[in-house]
Amino acid sequence: MTLHWQPSAPEHVPPELMVDFDFFKIPEGLKDPAQIWHGLVRDGAPPIFYTPHNGGHWVFLKYDDIVEGYRDFEKFSTYQTPIPPIEPFPVVMPQGVDPPEHTVFRMLLAPMFTPLAVRRMTEHLQQRAEKLIAGFADKGECDFIADYASIFPTSTFLELFGLPQERLPEFLALSEVFFRSTDPDARAQNLNDIYAVLEDLFREKERNPGNDIASTIVTARDADGNQHKWIDILNCGFLLFVAGLDTVTNTMTYVWRYLATTPEARAYFRSKLDDPQAFLMAIEELMRINAVSNIYRRVTHDFEYKGIRFKRNDRIILPNTVANRDPSIFSNPQSIDLDRKVNNHVTFGVGPHRCIGSHLAKREIMISMQEWLKHIPDFELAPDQAEASVFGGSVMGFTSLKLRW
Amino acid sequence: MKVVANLNVCQGHARCEDICPEVFSTDAIEGKVVIENPEFPPELEEKVRLAVRNCPEGALRIAKGAKA
Repeated sequence: MTLHWQPSAPEHVPPELMVDFDFFKIPEGLKDPAQIWHGLVRDGAPPIFYTPHNGGHWVFLKYDDIVEGYRDFEKFSTYQTPIPPIEPFPVVMPQGVDPPEHTVFRMLLAPMFTPLAVRRMTEHLQQRAEKLIAGFADKGECDFIADYASIFPTSTFLELFGLPQERLPEFLALSEVFFRSTDPDARAQNLNDIYAVLEDLFREKERNPGNDIASTIVTARDADGNQHKWIDILNCGFLLFVAGLDTVTNTMTYVWRYLATTPEARAYFRSKLDDPQAFLMAIEELMRINAVSNIYRRVTHDFEYKGIRFKRNDRIILPNTVANRDPSIFSNPQSIDLDRKVNNHVTFGVGPHRCIGSHLAKREIMISMQEWLKHIPDFELAPDQAEASVFGGSVMGFTSLKLRW
Repeated sequence: MKVVANLNVCQGHARCEDICPEVFSTDAIEGKVVIENPEFPPELEEKVRLAVRNCPEGALRIAKGAKA
């Protein structure tokens, strides 16, 4: 990797802060895409640097700066942040707007994602996880992503939105293009398709409201007693589609890859099957070490931060995986300690935009692990797994994870 | 001893509830921390301290000897 790379620095970026870094590009042979970020730290990249790739953007590498990027929404906005810049891109609601506008939809969604609400979903999550796993447990092998990790969160989405599970293939196809395609035409068409589905869904729920999130959003009233703006309703549906599928899929894949290669970890979790509290605490450590999201922010106005000049509309990436292994915050940050006592990871962000689905995501992962370990207590990577490819970007992950037992 | 929360800072991570449900719970509207009885017995001190240290927002603090 070339540090202090010279060409095309914007005029406000000093050359010593330029680094040649493309977060979509994973070097051949690298088995864990997160390592491109940790490589930066190992190679001594400046803690705040600028790369001209992907439209040009800053990267924060210190826990404290990443936390500041999350908290200070007056400097670091979530509005119109895609990297590279994609126009037009929907305003995901409410993640893509800042307080106070953010607060309205946040408060609307919050009751459906509290720990209390999520605990009430436990039985349904268990039933679906159990059914999926029982479907291939006897086969002795599976592709974890195709057979489980992409299906489970999508089927949770269908349940939350009051949609029949029969529509699973349709939603899997939509999310496959949305999350994996790099073809601009396919992406543009895909956005239209997703919004057409959301339009139909919300119109139907408006006519026949049920006990689901889509109905709650579409029947909610603003401070003046009116329905929220239709585009905000669609964008809110879009947020829940975007935020809760690929992140969970790839986090699970990281976790299962770790379990497949770490017999002691499987034994540890098996020993905690009757102790959900300890199980959940150990999952926090898996959340710390397997942070798949690199989060975008946009600079709202010209200012100086830590002696560095930022200009309005500069983009910034906050790599959670780097914050979560900052040695000034975590002891033995690179090692996985399932009994770690203090664990202030930022996998779900901090501040007003803290991932609203964090409790659901953790519950989905916990239940999946519990049901899996009951049916398949021991498993390993299939021999041909080495050829599986990895990808970088805003959410990092793998395209397949072949397991056998 | 007593533990207090700053609800302006709490973002509903619920790490405190996960670590020490004897003292912390979360509400049904925003999912923010609820401390029904801020005065906690000495045998829970270690867990409460861990909950405080694990708050990603720094929203919890222990007030020594203070009365509710």
